[in-house]
Amino acid sequence: MKDFFAGVGVIVSLELRQRVRGRAWYVLLGVFVALIAIVTILLSIALGTNQAESTSGGAIFSTIIYFVLLLGTLVAPALGGNAINGDRDAGTLATTQITLITTGQIVIGKFLAAWITAFGFLAVSVPFLIYASLLGGLSGGAIVVSILVLAVELGVVSALGVGLSGVLNRPLFSIVATYLAVAALSIGTLIAFALGGLVMQSEQTITTTAGVTFDENGRATSCAPGDVQFTKAPRFDYFWGVLVTNPYVLLADAVPTNFDSRGNVTDLFGGIKAGVRMAQIAPPATVTYDACGADANNGSGSGSGTAYPTAQELIASTVPGWAVGLLIQLGLAAAALAGAVARTRTPAGRLSRGSRIA
Amino acid sequence: MSDIDTDTDTDTDTDTDASIVVENVARAFGEVQAVRDASFVAGPGTVTALIGPNGSGKTTLLLMLASLLRPDVGQIRIAGFDPVTDTAAVRSRLGWMPDLLGSWNALTVRATLETTARLYRMDTASAAARATELILLVGLEQLAAQPTRVLSRGQKQRLSLARALVHDPAVLLLDEPASGLDPQARVDLRQLVRRVASEGKAVLISSHELAELDEMADGAVYLQGGVTASVESVTRTRSTARPWRIRAVDRAALTSALLAAGVDAGAIVVDRDELLVPLQGEAAASALLTALVGSGVAISTFAPAVGELEHTYLDLNRGGGE
Repeated sequence: MKDFFAGVGVIVSLELRQRVRGRAWYVLLGVFVALIAIVTILLSIALGTNQAESTSGGAIFSTIIYFVLLLGTLVAPALGGNAINGDRDAGTLATTQITLITTGQIVIGKFLAAWITAFGFLAVSVPFLIYASLLGGLSGGAIVVSILVLAVELGVVSALGVGLSGVLNRPLFSIVATYLAVAALSIGTLIAFALGGLVMQSEQTITTTAGVTFDENGRATSCAPGDVQFTKAPRFDYFWGVLVTNPYVLLADAVPTNFDSRGNVTDLFGGIKAGVRMAQIAPPATVTYDACGADANNGSGSGSGTAYPTAQELIASTVPGWAVGLLIQLGLAAAALAGAVARTRTPAGRLSRGSRIA
Repeated sequence: MSDIDTDTDTDTDTDTDASIVVENVARAFGEVQAVRDASFVAGPGTVTALIGPNGSGKTTLLLMLASLLRPDVGQIRIAGFDPVTDTAAVRSRLGWMPDLLGSWNALTVRATLETTARLYRMDTASAAARATELILLVGLEQLAAQPTRVLSRGQKQRLSLARALVHDPAVLLLDEPASGLDPQARVDLRQLVRRVASEGKAVLISSHELAELDEMADGAVYLQGGVTASVESVTRTRSTARPWRIRAVDRAALTSALLAAGVDAGAIVVDRDELLVPLQGEAAASALLTALVGSGVAISTFAPAVGELEHTYLDLNRGGGE
């Protein structure tokens, strides 16, 4: 085991010296910092003037975190998306493979190097995150969890990039495929969730019992016979696993939420989290609106069987979606890396058309 | 998948046995049968040339020997180990210089060699020491601190050779090592290869530079259409007529002496100041030379017009083309 990691260490150091030390990487970092600085300054001006200072910090923080996630997932595929097939094209993969290093060590080493490189982008954004959190309204836990989730997301994208660069032969294809994978996670999951929920609908029976006569408080004193309707309700509860695989949703769901005294969320991440958790709950097969029922407490007659739970109760009573999303993402990342190992293993057996090994 | 029964034939293999044994190896890529039936043995302390036309399967065969490609059928033993089942054992005893000259272009020459040594599980100190040795050995002292991207083709070639020698392998595979080298570097390469062989290692060289190989190879493996030429067919080419180049101060006297020695007048070809005479084998050549010297003609040159490898190569190609 010690030998394994010693070999991985040699590959990581080689990759970092070979790939990262370019001037282009520093230019990219500079552009990245400049973009985040601009976004932070503009947000501070926009939110600082017309909102209470306690919430502007949270808003800026949430937005900067999302911005770092966006840029990070846009940069990471380019960093690792040709790690293996690019070496094969350059003629340096085979000379590495005939040494005592194993294919697993090569793939893991390249993945770690790509991840460490992506960390550079996270590191330069930390000052801006600290600035946003200093503006107030944020728990230390929220900051730590956000940065951790960002780090993990960059790792997942790096793993997908390195994995695809081992599975696909042409560097251009594997980089594009990694971008498509990022797009599938960021946007595709939202589309799949919405379409899936709408396609899978279930029967819902709605019984409405309307009041006929009312007392002076507007409470129904006598009711008409129940009116039964049959409708269909979308079943988002089947697809919430797809939704939480989305990096942005996962991040929002993972961050500890602050609630106000009524149990409502106070920031952007909390709002998304409450919405995502609501998707876990199946629509009831029967819904009853009874103006004369025991729970009916107002004249409108729209009370259901029980009162709606607050966001705090909802979040407490549902499965932590981020954990499920993380497991799915880690599964995808592991599958990509395993696929790369299988396709890069030597002595090579079956080769795909037109591929060369050295 | 491999023929275990051939083990008994090669049970002289030991841990220190620097040899290459190839038995009935074949490998296809889809429909294309790159290597059909290759068999040969390259013993310790010898330099063996791997010769064949473009597309004859030389590189595919070398990739199989280098433990990068799995043979479909047949058996390979590198220093007594099977590259398919004992990959790590083979790799620790095998040096490979590929035809494609890839290098880590951001690393210096020294860092490249140190990193390669580290990939062979040497510790940092011995890796550094080995890199220094190899830089001296291949004559890259001036460029040791330069990134490899500034190296010329010939210099990359030398770096690639140094990289193949990092772990002092018992078996060395060189794929086109001389291409792109200047004459001095070729002489250096030849001496280096001979020295490596004299240390008891097995060296296999694939090259098109047949004259070059003639001077350093002890034996040759001819590959044609993915099949190695049998020993018999190679021996047969030895006895086919091969032109010899003869030069004398007095060409007229030489011609008459040749005719007197029984050479067919129609077979003599004039090439500038020299005459080309087809002769079958070494015995015929020495008989003719004795006759010429006996007749008193002043001979200044008497040598095969083409090298032995080239002759065999061309003769086998001719046979294969029919």
